[in-house]
Amino acid sequence: MSSINNTKSFHLISSQKVSFTFDGKKITGFKGDTIASALLRNNINLVGRSFKYHRPRGIYTCGIEEPNALVQIISEHNEPNARATVKRIYEGMIVESQNRWPSLKMDIGAVNNLLSPIFSAGFYYKTFMGPKGFWKKIYEPIIRKTAGLGKPPKEFRSKSTHHHHNVDVVIVGGGISGLIAALKFIDTNYDVLIIEQDSFLGGTLNNSKKIKEINGLDTIEWIKKTEDLISKSKNIKILKDTTVSSYNYSNHLIALEDKAVGSLPPNYKPELVLHKIRTQHTILANGYIERILSFRNNDLPGVMLAGSFEKFIHRYGVVPETNPIIFTNNSSTFSLLKSLVELNCKPSAYVDNREENSIEKSTLDYLKNNNILFYTGAEVEGCDGRNIIREAFIRHKGNIIKLKTNMLCVSGGINPDVNLFTQSKGLIKWDDNLFTFKPENAFQNTIVIGSASGNFNFQKLNDEIKNKLNFLKGVNDTKIEIISNVENDYNISEIWDIKPEKESLWSKSFIDIQNDVTVKDLRQAITEGFDRIEHLKRFTTNSMGTDQGKISSINSLGIVSKILNKSVEEVGTTIYRPPFAPLSFSAIAGRNTYEFYDPKRKTPIHSWHIDNNAVFEDVGQWKRPWYFKNKKGETMHQAVQRESKQLRESAGILDGSTLGKIEVKGKDALEFMNLMYTNAFTKMKPMTSRYVLMLGEDGMIKDDGIVSKINDQHFIATTTTGGAPKVLADMEEYAQTEWPNLEVYMNSITEQFSTFNISGPKSRAIMRKVFSNIDFSNEKFPFMTFNNFKYLDTEVRIMRASFTGELGYEIYIPPKYALELWKKIFHSGKNLGLVPYGTETMHLLRAEKGYIVVGQDTDGTVTPIDLNLNWMIGKNKKDFIGKRSLSRFDTAREDRKQLVGILPLDKNKKILEGQHILEINKLPKKVETPIEYLGHVTSSYHSPNLKHFVAMALVKGGKKLMGKKVYVSDPSKSETIPVEIVNPVFLDPKNKRLLS
Amino acid sequence: MKELYSLRGLDVFQKDLHQIILRGKGDEKFKKIINKETSLSLPPENLKITQNDKFLLAKHSFDQWNLFYLDRKEHKEVLKMVSNFNSHEEILASDYSYGQVYFEISGKDKNYYLNKLTHFDFRIKKFPNLSMAQTLVAKIDCSIYHLNDKFIITCNCSLEEYFKERLLDAINL
Amino acid sequence: MLIINCPYCGERDQSEFSNGGQAHVARPSDPEKLNDKEWSEYVFVRSNPKGIFFERWVHSHGCRKWFNAVRNTATDEILKIYKLNEKPPSLDEFTNNLKTPSGEPELGSGNFTVKK
Repeated sequence: MSSINNTKSFHLISSQKVSFTFDGKKITGFKGDTIASALLRNNINLVGRSFKYHRPRGIYTCGIEEPNALVQIISEHNEPNARATVKRIYEGMIVESQNRWPSLKMDIGAVNNLLSPIFSAGFYYKTFMGPKGFWKKIYEPIIRKTAGLGKPPKEFRSKSTHHHHNVDVVIVGGGISGLIAALKFIDTNYDVLIIEQDSFLGGTLNNSKKIKEINGLDTIEWIKKTEDLISKSKNIKILKDTTVSSYNYSNHLIALEDKAVGSLPPNYKPELVLHKIRTQHTILANGYIERILSFRNNDLPGVMLAGSFEKFIHRYGVVPETNPIIFTNNSSTFSLLKSLVELNCKPSAYVDNREENSIEKSTLDYLKNNNILFYTGAEVEGCDGRNIIREAFIRHKGNIIKLKTNMLCVSGGINPDVNLFTQSKGLIKWDDNLFTFKPENAFQNTIVIGSASGNFNFQKLNDEIKNKLNFLKGVNDTKIEIISNVENDYNISEIWDIKPEKESLWSKSFIDIQNDVTVKDLRQAITEGFDRIEHLKRFTTNSMGTDQGKISSINSLGIVSKILNKSVEEVGTTIYRPPFAPLSFSAIAGRNTYEFYDPKRKTPIHSWHIDNNAVFEDVGQWKRPWYFKNKKGETMHQAVQRESKQLRESAGILDGSTLGKIEVKGKDALEFMNLMYTNAFTKMKPMTSRYVLMLGEDGMIKDDGIVSKINDQHFIATTTTGGAPKVLADMEEYAQTEWPNLEVYMNSITEQFSTFNISGPKSRAIMRKVFSNIDFSNEKFPFMTFNNFKYLDTEVRIMRASFTGELGYEIYIPPKYALELWKKIFHSGKNLGLVPYGTETMHLLRAEKGYIVVGQDTDGTVTPIDLNLNWMIGKNKKDFIGKRSLSRFDTAREDRKQLVGILPLDKNKKILEGQHILEINKLPKKVETPIEYLGHVTSSYHSPNLKHFVAMALVKGGKKLMGKKVYVSDPSKSETIPVEIVNPVFLDPKNKRLLS
Repeated sequence: MKELYSLRGLDVFQKDLHQIILRGKGDEKFKKIINKETSLSLPPENLKITQNDKFLLAKHSFDQWNLFYLDRKEHKEVLKMVSNFNSHEEILASDYSYGQVYFEISGKDKNYYLNKLTHFDFRIKKFPNLSMAQTLVAKIDCSIYHLNDKFIITCNCSLEEYFKERLLDAINL
Repeated sequence: MLIINCPYCGERDQSEFSNGGQAHVARPSDPEKLNDKEWSEYVFVRSNPKGIFFERWVHSHGCRKWFNAVRNTATDEILKIYKLNEKPPSLDEFTNNLKTPSGEPELGSGNFTVKK
């Protein structure tokens, strides 16, 4: 076989040569070539092995619909399954074929083809049923090795970005219809975005010579002039190399732009851009797709869609083969015939399935005048060859005619590309004359024009577009006069699959070339009862490849309708789902990965923490010091023990800036707070604070914190770090939706104040040194009171509260002044043994004291009563959120899991969080019946102050089990740890330290 | 005011501003109190901005306003103003001055760069001069104020570094 | 991805909003008067119909205001948006012009693309 260059069509390619490698071999093409056109130019047609049978495969199409020519782009981080028919070459590009071993021409997996009887429809489901364990150890590894497409890409950090657009009109497709539509919007008030999947406009005008002139200009000239006009219009933007992959509800389109087209982008720029587009109107001008015909060995390299063959000639200037056979059932192939003849390449035969009387007279005359061998009412029964087609067999009037050939161009008709239209929830309808689906009812503001709407007649284009866009105010009038080289009307005969003349293991009629699904598989699946199209698809994997059966899914409906003796309309179609074409995960993720995976929130003290060797913990989006590594080699355990001990001996300081803070104010603030929290605030004195609980309506603890009352109209509430947004949202929700009669407002002031918690026996002395004008005595500044004080040119609020059980203060200061104050406190506390501590020490210290942490000791199934916090419930209040639920039968049960302390009988034993509380001292080796357990450990820490583990647990009916001996499981052995159930307050039960 | 990035078509400055969030009914009494403290009248509708030479007042929704100082003040003066507002029980005023960071973004390509980070529709027909919006930029809550040729974008101060990194990333890519 | 017309901020992307489930489920004014069953109906039970649904939304990343919407759960069309203090529209306003992509049945999947 041999190809020639079509030097006349070089309007799209400069003469600059470009080299790349394919399977290690250097190939030279021209700038603008796709991998496929460059390979064809070099007479390479074998480009891959098929998915299941490892059959040799070639280039089948010339575009996004390609099922076969999928390659791996090594020079782009091993990007797999790239379509050779789309991807443009650049100097130094490295391309490899896929799914072959050890080489493309000598593929061992091809033995699968001879084993094909066992690989029929539903093969995987039927075969790999047993024995147990075989799937994981034997079947799956083998299947993974031999089946599949490309290999996974190399690990790399993509620079893909997202880009948002808000426009009035999107035109999908920059072909002739899209361009005519675009002309209507030039210099109007509409913001318009044109999305073109190629690097240039014009669409199918670049693919053939069907149109001679538009408005007196050569088509290529007309495209240039039109693009020029559009580019000058400020309201229109064109995105090239961009494919719309989804059409969602509310006219939301997702489109992928490839930046590695014809050259690699610089390594600091994105490879892909995902465009997210919101529009008022979507104009679909996305054209048509040519479909295949199913005949024996229709997958052989050298078989190519006729329209694609012509596209290679005109768009890329390569005639893949000078004397191919053309096999068609419709009028679209006439222009290929003419193109070849005009280049002095005579087709070796023209096989038309239509009867002579339905073929256009101009076509018949042309065939006769040019002395071309042609058959009407005929079909190609099959073809043979090894790695390339060698012979075609034509069935004509009951005879089989064998013809030698190097290439066979096939056209089974053309379909409007309804994929995006159906994604938009539009309804399609079967056309009995065109044998295809056409868009019928749009569900959104969707307008379909041109061949995408089933209008294959150029002469009718302008009127069609005018009529469909007429409803938009202020659009321009357009005059388009088209002179065509071919007949304007399109006709087609109905043919889906062709009965094979001979049967052999090698001979197959494919319906889905990518997924190796044959017509026989469809028949078999229907015989086995999978006669609904959605079931059939899944059982056979028909149209489930990366090409989504673009060139064959309509054929399968045709075949199924014949087998079932139903109309295609009754058979229906499977749902077209996004994406229209494969898109890389890196494009979907965009920049929201690695350091941008989640926003990071930092406190004003963050830089100090880093300077002082803090190890950070993520709490929600916050970065909080977990512990401070005092010296090299200090382990976390050592650091936490040191911090915890030092705090109880002298003092410690914690950066509590992340605590949620909410300011609540209004005439009815008191009533509102009484409803939101379990606590009673009515009798609470101004300028005092209280530990509070917030419940859900189900009575379960949602959050805790401290509420400070300035007066009955003004409160400040703190929340947990993680709970802050939810608590504010809940307050807003209740204020707006349930109690709009209450006049109350709330603002988040989390970020307006940095918070430091200073506690320990020396904390008063330190506070006195820092704020020398404030009286911190027990009398003037008792526990759970607060006040505002002038500080520099701002104010600080100081509250006496503690989460460690020691004497403690909380300082609230605007963030601008925070770091300076923090340093000042440190300076003052240096000689008094002040230690910075992190969240782990905070947790340890509060556990010694039996204080709970919401989300650790509670899990959304725990009531205040379960935690012995009955004293926090304002029982005399008529109502508060969750109150009624506390007396529900299930919530009031006495055998609920309740919070208790756990004390190991052997003080050296280690207790782990999450372990089970059991009544047996040894777990059986083999568990035959479920082992009953009483509950689980929620918190456990080694206390450096008590020198043993202190733990809390939720235990069934725990309150009544005080003093009982139970066991805690140990994940490393079957022995359990004997423990005693105790009161969870391990240290200072009389609060002497707290109130000192 | 600190210049963060400047390139053709985009200028980003970080500014120090004072800000007070106001909540209330928006009735005659509320109007009077605001007018007394700022000499400003309330914006006529949601998302609109009124201003004089000292202040800028934006209406976020039917019960929320945002007051910006156009000149630098000592913090205690701002706190005094907050306390004046709060002396009326029907108003909640919270000082937001240092809890937020302020970016001034200008240049003819500002919409292009910002739309890498947000879906928000910046077209003049949807977001006219002297209007504001609360929306998501780079996945975080931000307020955007459209003042003549500039946008002021504010977000929580804990997210300052994250926001700047995202902005720089969007500009570079 | 829906476009939701916040009554206070105008049309915004769905990502700025949170859904609050069924609308017009008032919190009982005196919960103590209800028996366990009645109370649990309020706390736990919500309807989830196919078709017209009155539901709550909050502009959580915008003005943080709640409002109500009438949405067709089969097609995701938002048919009406109204403020909390506005009277809910009558169901009859919608049932007659229920537009589904394919005239799909009241129960079951809406997976039809072919006009019959």
